Amino acid sequence: MSESFETDFWKDEERRKVWDDIVPGEPRKTIPYTLTLEAIQKYCRAVGDTHPLYFDEAYARTTPWQGLIAPPSIHILLMFSCTPADDWMRSPGTINAGQSWSYNIPARPGDTITLQARALDKFIKRDRLFVIHDNVFFNQNAQVICSGRGWTIRPV
Amino acid sequence: MNKAYEALKQGDTVEGPKFQVSRETIREFCEASLDFNPLHWDDGYMKGNFGKTKFDGIIMHGMTNFGLITRMLTDWLYPIGGIHRRLETRWKMPVKPGDTIQPTARIAIKRETKRSCWVSLDIVVRNQRGESVAIGEAMAEFPPV
Repeated sequence: MSESFETDFWKDEERRKVWDDIVPGEPRKTIPYTLTLEAIQKYCRAVGDTHPLYFDEAYARTTPWQGLIAPPSIHILLMFSCTPADDWMRSPGTINAGQSWSYNIPARPGDTITLQARALDKFIKRDRLFVIHDNVFFNQNAQVICSGRGWTIRPV
Repeated sequence: MNKAYEALKQGDTVEGPKFQVSRETIREFCEASLDFNPLHWDDGYMKGNFGKTKFDGIIMHGMTNFGLITRMLTDWLYPIGGIHRRLETRWKMPVKPGDTIQPTARIAIKRETKRSCWVSLDIVVRNQRGESVAIGEAMAEFPPV
């Protein structure tokens, strides 16, 4: 994934919606993503999480999860892997003001993840431009993995 | 009723891991999360002003706090059969290279519903100066066994 992922967030800046263009309620473009064990473990290492549920298949099979899973917070990676390069969440200067997420079932290595996402609201507060966005991630069986809402301050 | 739930008391605390933040850990999080916002790697860009805010250098992803809080909760819940169901966070101040942060949680509410048992926790992440860099609330479920 990361080999084909555009890491220069300036490159598609002109094609992205600014705060004025964002229409609350309008779906964002999303792309399906196959979650690999490698991507899960890379994320886990970045937060120092080496729990065997994410690394040890033999151990994971003995647990109620009956196999390797991803940690609940894997949506941090999924948010970028399931959206295209011109998505406004990549706009340089986007500041994350807060997030809330609910978890249903774990994502697993090999899952094909899809995202349904939209801005829900936009407003001006204390001279800052805010957008509230909602996001729901599904697996290949149309089961909800997690759903979340975020508050971002948009670049001027 | 779930025995692990029964053993919990309002006011019980959970302590998460200490995490030393460096330019390298921030870069590693860029690679792992695919969040390459220049806030997290471009010192030149971070010399500018962001509205009324000036950062004077790169900052850690707010979502690193989120990941560390999640790690604290799952490390606590997996062995006692609890399920991490919800996390809400708000960022209070930026975290920078050189900082050491640590999440903690405190049980605020225990609640039984028709089909399950639930715990709400107040969350705070503090830096090495004891300043609160993130706050939030979490919810865990303890299903009937």
